[in-house]
Amino acid sequence: MALPPIEADEALHHVDEVPEVAETKVIHGRSPLRIAFERLRHDKVALVSAVVVLFFILVAVFAPLISKAFGVEEGIVENPSDVLDPTTSYGLEGPPFHGFTWDHPLGIAPSTGKDLLAEWLYGARTSLEVAFITAIAATVLGIVIGLLAGFSRGWLDRIISFVIDLFLSFPFILGALSLAPILINRWGQDAEKLDQAQFVSLILILSFFSWMYLARLIRGEVLSLREREFIQAARVIGVPTRRILFRELLPNLIAPIVVSFSLGLPAFVAAEAGLAYLGIGLTERPTWGQTIVDAQPHFEIFPLFLWAPLIGIMVLVIALNLLGDSLRDAFDPKTRR
Amino acid sequence: MKWKKPMAAIGALALLAAGACGGSDDGSDTDSERDLDIEGAGLAQDPNVEPPAAEIEGAQSGGTVTVLSALGLNTMHPSEAYYTNTGSILTNLVTRTLTQYRYNPEIEGMELVPDLATDLGRPNEDFTEWTFTLRDGVRYEDGTEVQPEDFVTATEMSFDRTQFPDGAEYSNEYFLNGYDEKGNPLYEGRYTDPNGSCECVEVNGNDITFKMARPFPSMNYWATFPAMSPIPADKSQDPDQYALHPLSTGPYMFDEYEPETSLTLVKNPEWDPNTDPARHQYVDQWNMEFLEDSSALDQVIIEDQGDAQTTLTYDNLLLPDYQKAKQEAPDRIVEGQDPCQFYVYPDTRKITDPKVREAMAWAYPYEDAWLAGGEIVGVTRSPETQIIPRGVDGRVEPPYDVYGNGGRETDPERARQLLEEAGKVGMPLRFLYASDDPPSVDVKDVLVRAWREAGFDPKPVATTVAEFSTLRADPNTPIDYRTGGWCLDWPAWDSWLPPLFQTDQYANYSFFSNKQVDQRIREIQNLPPEEATEAASELEQDIMEQYKPVIPVGKGGVAMMHGSRINGMEVDSVYGLPTWRDIWISQ
Repeated sequence: MALPPIEADEALHHVDEVPEVAETKVIHGRSPLRIAFERLRHDKVALVSAVVVLFFILVAVFAPLISKAFGVEEGIVENPSDVLDPTTSYGLEGPPFHGFTWDHPLGIAPSTGKDLLAEWLYGARTSLEVAFITAIAATVLGIVIGLLAGFSRGWLDRIISFVIDLFLSFPFILGALSLAPILINRWGQDAEKLDQAQFVSLILILSFFSWMYLARLIRGEVLSLREREFIQAARVIGVPTRRILFRELLPNLIAPIVVSFSLGLPAFVAAEAGLAYLGIGLTERPTWGQTIVDAQPHFEIFPLFLWAPLIGIMVLVIALNLLGDSLRDAFDPKTRR
Repeated sequence: MKWKKPMAAIGALALLAAGACGGSDDGSDTDSERDLDIEGAGLAQDPNVEPPAAEIEGAQSGGTVTVLSALGLNTMHPSEAYYTNTGSILTNLVTRTLTQYRYNPEIEGMELVPDLATDLGRPNEDFTEWTFTLRDGVRYEDGTEVQPEDFVTATEMSFDRTQFPDGAEYSNEYFLNGYDEKGNPLYEGRYTDPNGSCECVEVNGNDITFKMARPFPSMNYWATFPAMSPIPADKSQDPDQYALHPLSTGPYMFDEYEPETSLTLVKNPEWDPNTDPARHQYVDQWNMEFLEDSSALDQVIIEDQGDAQTTLTYDNLLLPDYQKAKQEAPDRIVEGQDPCQFYVYPDTRKITDPKVREAMAWAYPYEDAWLAGGEIVGVTRSPETQIIPRGVDGRVEPPYDVYGNGGRETDPERARQLLEEAGKVGMPLRFLYASDDPPSVDVKDVLVRAWREAGFDPKPVATTVAEFSTLRADPNTPIDYRTGGWCLDWPAWDSWLPPLFQTDQYANYSFFSNKQVDQRIREIQNLPPEEATEAASELEQDIMEQYKPVIPVGKGGVAMMHGSRINGMEVDSVYGLPTWRDIWISQ
C-alpha cells in the first residue's frame, strides 16, 4: 500500500532532518565490551571490589617478598619446642597469651610454631592460583564444547548434550573423595611429586566438574544466534565453520563468558578451602582451608588463628562475587541505569 | 593390647599416652624446669580379698551416668573384645572373670584380686597348670547359675581366630593344643572346629584347671580378660547374636545396644555383692554415646550444665580444651598413667649399624614431635628411656639410659658425628605418614627438619589414615623405620619383651631377629616368676646396650574429664580408662 500523501510528506521531512543530526552529534559505533566498561567505571561497588581483588592478587604474586619484608618465613623454620610453651603449646611470643609482636604479626601456630602471617600470605597464593587456573581451564573447556554443541546439529549435539548431563549428574564430592587416596598411594613415595600431583589433580577435578554450566549457557546462546542473518550470510558466502564459530559467534558471547568466569573464581576459592577442610585438598603447601581445620579447636583461646584465613576467604569471595555481579549488570543490555 | 584410638595406631603421632600420677596437679607448672619424669603406680596382688567389696566412704546410690566418646565401640563379644574401651567396660561392669583388677586408693594404683575364683589361682611348679576354684551362687542375668563348664566353652571360643580374628591370642599361644612350635594352630576353636576340643581345661567339682603347652606364669592376668569370662554353651550357638547381648554376670547388663554408636547398661538384679570382692553398683544406669564430636563433648563437660554434671568422657581432652579445663575446673580433670609406650623402630634389616640407630636417637625431635602431634607434654606424653614401663614386673632398676639423652634431648651435632663415624652421612630415611591427618603431616614436617639437620636424607612416604596400619605392619613396605606404640596386656615383662624383640612377633616392627635373644626369652619363660623378672631386666638391658633395636620416644598418659557430680573416677592404669566400678553420683 502506498503512503497517504501527508504521511509521505512527513516521512520525507524526517529524512531531510537526518543529516542535520549527524552533523551536530557524531555517533560512534561502540562495542558491547566498551559499553560495559563504561558502565563499570561508574559503578562504585565494582571499583571497590576490583581494588580488593587486585590487593589479593598482589599479595599472592608477591607473597615471598612481603613475608621477607615482615621477616617471617613459611613452614616450620624453628624447633616447635623452642618457640612454643610446652605446657600450653601456644607461642612464647605474640597472641593469644602475649602482646603483639612484629616478629610474628599474626602470632604463631600452636603445635607446629609456623608463622601465621607467612601461612596466610602463601595461603592466599594457593587460593588464587587454584581459582584462576581452574576458572581459565573450565572456561576454555566450556566455550569449546558449548560452541560445538550449539552449532552442530543432530547427533553431535545430542552426544555432547548427553555428556554435559552426565557430568552434571556425577557427584563431585564423591569423585574428589575417592580420587584423593588413589593419588596419595600412587605418588606418595615422593613428597614433591605428591604436591604437584595434588595440585594438578585438584585443578583437573575442579575444572572437570564446572565447565558444564558455561557449556550449556553457550550452547543456548549459539542456538539462537545461528539462525540470525549475519550467520546465514556468512554461511552463504562460504565462510569456514571454524571462522564462523570463533570470529562471528564468539564475540557475541563475550558477556556470558566474562560473567561465568568472574562468578566461577569465588566458587573455586571456596571449593579449594572446602576440599582442604575435608582433608582431600592440598596437604603439602599452606592453604587457607588447612589453616581453618587446624585453627578450629583453638577458636576459644586463639580466635585470630581462625579469623585470619576466614576473613581472607570471606573478603576475597565477596569481592569476586560483587565484581562478577557488576560485570553481569554491565554486560546485560536490558539493565538501564 | 590394642589401642582404641585409631590414630593411636599411628603410634607416636596422635595418641593418648601415660602421664602424671593420680588426680590433678596444682596447676602452676608452666616453667620449663618442670620435672617431666612421672612416677608410675605399681601393680600389687592380693589373693585374700573377701566379698562384698568395701563401701566407698560417702558414696551415694542412684542416678544415671552419661559417657561420651569420639571413638566407636568395636565388637562387645567377650571373646573378641580386645580394645581398651571394650575390654574395660566389659570387665568392670558386665562380664565377671576369674580374677580382676581393682583400684586401691592407698597405693593410688591397681591391684589384682580374686573375682569368680576364690583366690588368684594355684599354679603347678613349672606354671603349665593353673587351678582356680569357682565361687558358689554366681548367676547370669537370666537367673541360671554359672557352671565350671562355662569356662571350657569360653576357652574354646577364645581359640577361634577365624570367628574372632581381632581377639587376643594368648590361649593359642600358651594353652595346650594352641600354636605348635611353627605357629600353626592345632585346635582352631569352637566354631571353626566344632568336633574338636582343646583338651586344655579340666573341670573337677568347682575346680577349673587350665593346662598349658608352655609355662605361663601370667595366667592369672590372662584370666582377667573378657575372653576368659564364663559363657554358657546353650546361649552361644550364634556368636553374632551373642555379641549383641553378652550375658551379664556383673553389676550391670545390656539394655539397649547399637553396635559402634551407643550402649545403655542397667542394673543386673541377679548380681549378688556377696559374691564379688571388688565391684560396686552405685549408679542406676549408664548411657554411653560413641562417635561424638571431640571438641563438642569436651565443651559440654567443661560447661557442666544440667545433665553434663553427671557426664564423663574417657577420651583425652583436646589440647586447647585441656588448657581451658585447667583454668576453669582443674579438680574435674583426671590425669594418670596409661599402659602405652611409644618407640621408633628402625628396620634392623636395612639399618644394620647400631651406631646409625644411636644417631637416630640423638636426631629424633622428641618434644617437637609431641607438640606437633597435639600431645600435652608432661601429661599425655612424657620422656622414657627404657622398654618395660614403670609399675611393670621386670622394669630395670636402677633406671638406665642407653642413649644418654634422657628420652627427650635432641642433639643434631652429636647425631651427625655418629653418622660420620658410621660413614653414613646423607643416608636416605624413608618413613610413613598419613597425609589426610593434619597432626600426622605436622609431625612429618618436624621430622624432616630434624633428620635433615642431623645429616640424614629424609624421604617421607605419604599414605592415608585408612592404609597406615596395614602398610606399617607389612614387612615389605619400602620404608626404613616405623613408629608405633605398644600397650600392656598385663603388668609383667612377658607382655613386653617377647612381642617386641622375638623373631617374627607381631609388635616387632624393627624386624629384629637374633637367635641368642630368642633363646634367652624362651629360657626366661621357663623360669619361676621372681627369677624370670630379674632375668628379663637383665635381658632388656643387654638387648638395648648391644643391639639398640628400638628408640623409646615417650610414654603415654591420660587426661580425662568428668562432670561436677561424678565421684570416684580414677585412672585404671591397666586400661588407661576410668575405674568404672567405683563411680558414684552425688545427689
